[in-house]
Amino acid sequence: MTDLAPFVVPNLAARRASALVRSIVRTFLFGLIVVWSAFPILYVIVSSLKSQKEIFKFPPDLLFTPTLEHYVSLATTWNGYFATLGNSLIVAVGATILACAASILSGFVYSRYTNRLLAGSVLYLIAIRLLPPIVVTLPLFPLVDALKLSDTHFILIVLYATFWVSLCTMIMKTFIDKIPRTLDEAAMVDGATTLQTLTRVIFPLALQGVAACAIFVFIFSWNEYLFALIFTTQHAKTAPLIISEVMDSVSGTNWGVLFAGVTVQLMPVTLLVIFAQKFLIAGLTAGSVKG
Amino acid sequence: MKRLNPAAMLMLVPTHLLLLAVIAIPSFYVFWLSLNESTYGTGLTFVGFDNYWTVLTNPYFWRSALNTLIVVNAIVYIEMAIAIGMAALFIGGVRYPKVMFAIILMPYAISEVVGVLVWKIMLNPGSGVLSRTIEAMGFGMVNWSVSPPLALGVVTLISIWHHLPFTFLLIYAGMLAVPKSLYEASRIDGATGWQEFWRITMPLTIPAILISLIFRFVFAFRLFSEVWLLTGGGPARLTEVLALYLYQSAFRYGDFGVASATGWLMVIGSLLVASVYLWAMHRRMLKGND
Repeated sequence: MTDLAPFVVPNLAARRASALVRSIVRTFLFGLIVVWSAFPILYVIVSSLKSQKEIFKFPPDLLFTPTLEHYVSLATTWNGYFATLGNSLIVAVGATILACAASILSGFVYSRYTNRLLAGSVLYLIAIRLLPPIVVTLPLFPLVDALKLSDTHFILIVLYATFWVSLCTMIMKTFIDKIPRTLDEAAMVDGATTLQTLTRVIFPLALQGVAACAIFVFIFSWNEYLFALIFTTQHAKTAPLIISEVMDSVSGTNWGVLFAGVTVQLMPVTLLVIFAQKFLIAGLTAGSVKG
Repeated sequence: MKRLNPAAMLMLVPTHLLLLAVIAIPSFYVFWLSLNESTYGTGLTFVGFDNYWTVLTNPYFWRSALNTLIVVNAIVYIEMAIAIGMAALFIGGVRYPKVMFAIILMPYAISEVVGVLVWKIMLNPGSGVLSRTIEAMGFGMVNWSVSPPLALGVVTLISIWHHLPFTFLLIYAGMLAVPKSLYEASRIDGATGWQEFWRITMPLTIPAILISLIFRFVFAFRLFSEVWLLTGGGPARLTEVLALYLYQSAFRYGDFGVASATGWLMVIGSLLVASVYLWAMHRRMLKGND
């Protein structure tokens, strides 16, 4: 490699100047990344605090008197929205619990047991994630209808949990693999059953993995659109569905109230991502690199 | 490792029951559906491969396939280039890493619906803050609502905005795993930062790049909400992608046979894409073992 780099000793001033240019360019790029990631989100939040006249003013005022009028009208005139937020919460919590419970059990088995069929089914767990979700809506749609499960929280919970359970199993396996086997052997010697070993020994030590899975499933279920569009019509409608309907309503949209509604919808998950980034990053790398 | 016993098998039941009932069995049943004619509430009539013939001779299908091919490739490669650049920037050192990661991850928390809504408003021709900025800069009015290529460009933009955190993290993790000793050795040999990046960082990050390419291709292939919410497939079905064509066939025209045939063609398509990259990975691994 040395032959490509001519051996030159640049003088100190030139070196300092190039270091300065480098640091300016880097700072500029970091700034660009921040604007790109955060601007659209801040735009919604800030707009929700502007009066109706100011929202589409161009160029926009950077300094303005914030108003809560849209939140007030959200609470008074758009009160059906809170029921759909409730639906989103029920569905997201339900799917999270179901997916986490199932994948702790299976992740434990994949980590600790051996069997030819088991080894083969790892490939199946990966391959099944390749299927586009919209494809299974075709046979499920008439079936769900016949079972009277259409427009229920239950069907969304099952669908959301299923589409994450394979990845979560791999994430749990990765985390449980790191727990020394001698610990569960010791518990077994003391007379613990397999299930007791899992709940008393493994579970507390694999909490980081559980947290990672929970965050993935929760965010996905809270935000999901396609299944909610196909499988709900009235009672189980989730917040994203309502937002999309209001956005496309022909009778003119009250943008201020919509921005307020969107802010309420995106705040909890955004805070979750910000404060639980450690688990999210750990889960992403565990699930993708190994799985 | 212990032999699988009945108690352990019982613990596998919830996961595999869900996967079988919701994904595995239905997707095989879709194949059967694709060989039949059916609509809402009617029985199946076996028609062989007629539905495939109908799909493959439909110009709207080919339009949506072409759109999917272009948009998916644009999304994946542009996103990958940005992610690699960002990861290289972060590897060189970052101040306030926790704050920076929190900001970068934010789009991951946003619903596709909200993502489309925000970008749609900001880019709304004539009134959006971004489109008016572009206008004020003298680039003229960007009216994507009447131009299919521009509309698909906006779809690409939204999709990249949404998924960049995921791709960036995978690549960044891959770059972090490059042993520090290699850089020390190369510095002694007098390598420049640029040389280090191309001769050490990049070659050793290739496996991570291939893995994220597979993920992104598979997920980009499902593209639905962004297009559906932005253009609804219009004008004149010119911005439809495969998932949208499937949705329209099933839930608008009530033709489940044609929709199922489209579904299987999509499955085959994504398997083909994934296998190309898996093959590339496999070859690399063989070479690495020499």
